Amino acid sequence: MSAPIAIKGGKDGLRLMLAEDAGWDEVLTALRSQLELGTEFFHGAELTIDVGDRALHEDELEALLTLMHEHGLQPGTLATNSREGRSAGRAAGISTRPTNRHVAVQQRPAEADGALLVTRTLRSGQVLRHHGHVTIIGDVNPGAEVIAGGSIVVWGRLRGTVHAGALGDTNAQVCALELLPSLLRIAEFMARTPDQRPGGPEAARIKDGQIEVEQWEGKIRS
Amino acid sequence: MARVITITSGKGGVGKTTTTANLGTALAMQGQRVVAVDADIGLRNLDVVMGLENRIVYDLVDVVEGRCRLRQALIKDKRFPELFLLPAAQTRDKDAVSPDDMIELCNNLRREFDFVLVDSPAGIEGGFRNAIAGADEVLIVTTPEVSAVRDADRIVGLVEAFEKGHPRLILNRIRPQMVNRGEMMSKEDVVEILAIDLIGVVPDDEVIVTSTNRGEVAVMQKGSQAGRAYNDIARRLLGEDVPMLVLTEDQTFLEKFFGAIGLRPRRAAR
Repeated sequence: MSAPIAIKGGKDGLRLMLAEDAGWDEVLTALRSQLELGTEFFHGAELTIDVGDRALHEDELEALLTLMHEHGLQPGTLATNSREGRSAGRAAGISTRPTNRHVAVQQRPAEADGALLVTRTLRSGQVLRHHGHVTIIGDVNPGAEVIAGGSIVVWGRLRGTVHAGALGDTNAQVCALELLPSLLRIAEFMARTPDQRPGGPEAARIKDGQIEVEQWEGKIRS
Repeated sequence: MARVITITSGKGGVGKTTTTANLGTALAMQGQRVVAVDADIGLRNLDVVMGLENRIVYDLVDVVEGRCRLRQALIKDKRFPELFLLPAAQTRDKDAVSPDDMIELCNNLRREFDFVLVDSPAGIEGGFRNAIAGADEVLIVTTPEVSAVRDADRIVGLVEAFEKGHPRLILNRIRPQMVNRGEMMSKEDVVEILAIDLIGVVPDDEVIVTSTNRGEVAVMQKGSQAGRAYNDIARRLLGEDVPMLVLTEDQTFLEKFFGAIGLRPRRAAR
């Protein structure tokens, strides 16, 4: 079977996919640990809750909504194919609709999800969040933050804080013409730039369970 | 067409008020009708720096709350009949006025003046938002310190978010000798980080301290490098193409010697 939870970005925003066959406790535990990755990536985000064919009960939905609320998530619509799910949604005051998740998942591999191009300098205090890849033509100054579900490419100086693969994607990478972030995170891994360090085009990615920085030769590993 | 220019910085103590007073005076010396508005409600300083402290009857909050007419609150400068001050209230706080009040106030001042210079409080909260609400242009003051530059960067982002165009930078209190020794950020370093246009570099100058304490401004002191730098900025605001001051080096032994016996050898071209 698949992972108990998955969060996918798509045309209609973020979708929280909950496994149909896993125990509900297992689902909630998995979601909690995902949300506690320490990122504010999801804060204030509206998620479509997709439970597929699971016969979702009212108290189960309520537990889920409480957890989401604790992490600042807004429930969007509830995508469900079961009669129980529909009535649970009605009881909680959430609009429901049928889901065709099996088709939808195949149509949207994560990497193909909308990438974002930003053509300005991110300044101290500015935060950029995006569920897909992010490319910035400009600098990321100290005190600025970029959080992306996918990879982050900075055509400029990167001196702020970045978190690539914030949804858990360990294949995400961070590249910059001058890679000097105050804090660099990829999925659940973390690295700090040493104090004395020459800058230059470099790429950071996860290798053997830790973040490794290599000269960026313009090749993006696929 | 009147111009409303807000002088701000993010960090406190980098010279916003000094800059406002000096630019206001310099513009008035160029024959412009100028009003300097102190938007630092509750912590007013501009009146002290301009030496007009004991002439305050009404203030900005009185105008906004309708206790007096705008004209009544304007204080005419001692030396320049074309220079006025609109002081802040000292007994109130930043919540006493709203951004809409400031826009209305600035628009009323436009009718009477060529330049409305608004002295912003430090910070990024309500007081700052009030100060830039009515602005056409923004000047950001920073010193060559990492913390001040970091705050200035934050302010640039906010100014852009409030759609106040491209702010320009005044780099204050630079010490050429320290820059040459590599102990202080140079203007190139600062501009590289902030990526905005530089309108002037003001050297660290003891005259600022002595003149401020007397309620006078550096632009009126002959031989003050800071005063000269502010005069140049005023001329740039008026559209003149003034080359950047090349800051002089440490005094040489001979200069010190001649200075001590009361003679001044001519400096090499600045």
